[in-house]
Amino acid sequence: MTESGAVTVRVDGERQTGRAVDLRAKSLEPAMVAAAVREESAALDGPDRSGYESSEAEPTGTAFESPATERIDPDHSSLSIDCRAPGTVYDHVGCIEPSMGLRVRTALAAAARSRGGETPHDQDLERIAGELADLTVPAPPDLQGPRERVAGTDAAVDRIRERVAALRGRVQAGRDAGRDVSDLEAELAQATRELSERETERAAAREALERAERLARESRDARERRRRLEDRRANLQRSARAHLLERISDEFEHAVDLVPGGVDEGAPEDPFAVDAVTAALAVGRVARVDAPLVLACERFETPESAAGWLDAPVIAV
Amino acid sequence: MLLVVTYSRAARGTLRNVCRTHEAVVVRRFGRVALFAETEFAAFQALRLREKHGGDVQIERTRPFNEFEAVDRSVREAAAAYESRDQPALPYSAFADGTDHPDPDQLRNSEL
Repeated sequence: MTESGAVTVRVDGERQTGRAVDLRAKSLEPAMVAAAVREESAALDGPDRSGYESSEAEPTGTAFESPATERIDPDHSSLSIDCRAPGTVYDHVGCIEPSMGLRVRTALAAAARSRGGETPHDQDLERIAGELADLTVPAPPDLQGPRERVAGTDAAVDRIRERVAALRGRVQAGRDAGRDVSDLEAELAQATRELSERETERAAAREALERAERLARESRDARERRRRLEDRRANLQRSARAHLLERISDEFEHAVDLVPGGVDEGAPEDPFAVDAVTAALAVGRVARVDAPLVLACERFETPESAAGWLDAPVIAV
Repeated sequence: MLLVVTYSRAARGTLRNVCRTHEAVVVRRFGRVALFAETEFAAFQALRLREKHGGDVQIERTRPFNEFEAVDRSVREAAAAYESRDQPALPYSAFADGTDHPDPDQLRNSEL
């Protein structure tokens, strides 16, 4: 850590320090530079969240995270960046490039947080986070094994029971006709033994399944509690976000108007519908950003003018 | 029918997507729960859901309830009689007391 907001970058044996670092000549991958800024905190948490936009219905999911190896360019593995730790807002606008996606409202709420914004829901959110952390969800028992074991036991018992009945009939008929039935009797005894074995087997299998189902119910009760808490948290987060947005959106709208190369003069544009780079720059301007924003967009004359406009350290790539 | 119950936000989201995409599979959906048709395709969708979300998905198979097969006449008659009782606040145990209607404990201990 050096003086307020200054960044030290070492790359290819060179060292650059300042609020605006120009790496444009190095042709580095922007995402890789942003990853170097995050380095320890989230090496795997890439800035390209374009797939995030439509993912409301199914949050989390590893599908949007490509493996770290893809992002780390071996030619530039000597890159190291010394700077302040990035905050949440950096996850949204840490790397500003034309191919980016941006959930503007979420990013803007993070920007409000970066300036110390609070909401009336914060206490509840904290409490719920605590409850979720304390909640233990038992791993689901193996139900598939016991189900597989039970399957077919009914049919097996029925089959052998029919066989016993048929044999009994034949023994009886043989006796009535005065024939020697000792072979049939032996067969019947064998079948009767098998019937009892199958019945025991079925009872054991059913009992094992019932046991597993009891455990599964406990696991589901805990999952249900967790799901309720998570629903409640999501509702509170929405309310908190709305609260934060209400207080910052005027400033954001104003910033959008000022983004160089952004919205055309006089265009009646919805500030939340502008292109991602313009929105991200405006978010960067209203946010308090201590870690260097990685810029791969041609909106500013120089990295210095970008750092001045954004009031944030900048690395141009 | 197949009863599909989800126990996480993510599993509920996938269930919603399945229900939207495969309307013919769904007999009815109630939030995080759905009844699927009794077809192999519906079973396939349910299994796929469980494959994806593990313990957050429960699949059960339901069967139609026929009160003329499942319970005695006394139970059906008790239900009808109790619902047309004169005093709305009267609990069933008191209602059944001293009548031919089945005792609630007896009902509790009799499986279908």
